[in-house]
Amino acid sequence: MTFDYHEPTSVREAIELGARFGGDGRFLAGGTDLMVQIHRGRLNPRHVVSLQCVPGLDGIEVDGAVRLGARVTHRRLESAEAFQGALRGLAEGAEVVGGHQVRNVATVGGNIVNASPAADVVVVLLALDATLTCLGPAGERTVALDGFATAPGVTGLRPNELLTRASFPRLAPRSATVFLKAGRRRAMEISIACVAARVTLDDLERCQDVRIALGAVAPTAIRARAAERHLEARPLTDGLMRETGRIAAAECRPIGDVRASARYRALLVATLVPRALARCLERIKLGAP
Amino acid sequence: MTRIALSLTINGQTHDVLAEPHRTLLDVLRTDLGLIGTKENCLEAECGVCTVLLEGAAVNACILLAAQCQGRAIVTIEGLAAPGQLHPLQRAFIDHGAVQCGYCIPGMILAAKAYLDTNPEPDGDGVREALAGNLCRCTGYQRIIDAVLSAARALRTSPPSQAAR
Repeated sequence: MTFDYHEPTSVREAIELGARFGGDGRFLAGGTDLMVQIHRGRLNPRHVVSLQCVPGLDGIEVDGAVRLGARVTHRRLESAEAFQGALRGLAEGAEVVGGHQVRNVATVGGNIVNASPAADVVVVLLALDATLTCLGPAGERTVALDGFATAPGVTGLRPNELLTRASFPRLAPRSATVFLKAGRRRAMEISIACVAARVTLDDLERCQDVRIALGAVAPTAIRARAAERHLEARPLTDGLMRETGRIAAAECRPIGDVRASARYRALLVATLVPRALARCLERIKLGAP
Repeated sequence: MTRIALSLTINGQTHDVLAEPHRTLLDVLRTDLGLIGTKENCLEAECGVCTVLLEGAAVNACILLAAQCQGRAIVTIEGLAAPGQLHPLQRAFIDHGAVQCGYCIPGMILAAKAYLDTNPEPDGDGVREALAGNLCRCTGYQRIIDAVLSAARALRTSPPSQAAR
């Protein structure tokens, strides 16, 4: 294991280096995935391009839309004022990842491109209809987060591209987000299953807009579309939320592994989805800003 | 492999080191600089024994390249208090019997230091959460938690001198 280390000081320079090295190069942000893969011998890049001196990648901008620079850390997501109200689900997804040491360095961009099916923050971003900005030598393109990951560790990012930010629309009034995770312990745990929900209610307390995203129960983080459709224009009653959980459990495709059986994961989805919806409802009623 | 010249600021002192670009801060601290208070174990950012402070934040030195640390202030357990003195956290760990084999303790203390710097009045749950990234296989954690809570009280009543960081 050895490589050349590069520290570009602009996005442009980073892209140039990325394009020059192609498959021999890797961008380094927090290193919580890349360095572990290198230590394990699973990756052996000839060139490591650190993003730490590249300006413009670590901003949290909240105006019309919300834009998260690729280098925004989990720690900043959990402590940002902007994610304490209706967007609380984003902070909830960030604060259960690793310990403080990991969250101090692990980034949003890294979480997305690493494409773990159990990436907690990605599940929340899916529920927020996030889009990604990828920058390459030919320019910038915007792609939907939904469908970006195609298999564990595999994404639509081209070898010469850099993910620069994730963006999502501002929430409508009367909205709430929630993230719930099941693990064998409360910290330093990879999700057995996790759920993010976003609910917007209309004036008659009916679901105007709902997203339900699931982690660790399919080869990638997924949306539970049938479950979302089931809620359209209906009020969130206990019975309906339970039904929706069962629908979501039927559309996920979990595996059984060292953490849990496939059946148990599906049962968790059936439980966590109604719980997340109920909590959204509670938050909207409490009038979280 | 070409080595690169690194200038690292550790515990307030500048160290010039020649190191291959793939070497981690942990490796350079222990091998080149003899600062063996920072421990080596999992090398995967799981166990926390290699915790150091980078610009005041707790990080795992095992996944941090030494090259990434240029121009950034690093504190290791050796630099927590002036030579021959103990930081209130170190004192509290001793007083509470929080140390058995000791291997995890430098990391525990630095993670606790980073936490108390921003949360001077913690409760037990807060301390547990702050130390979730530090594994101990001996103590059962309770005395460690007690020590951190006690150190927090001590730091509130008499903060350490400026010599201690």
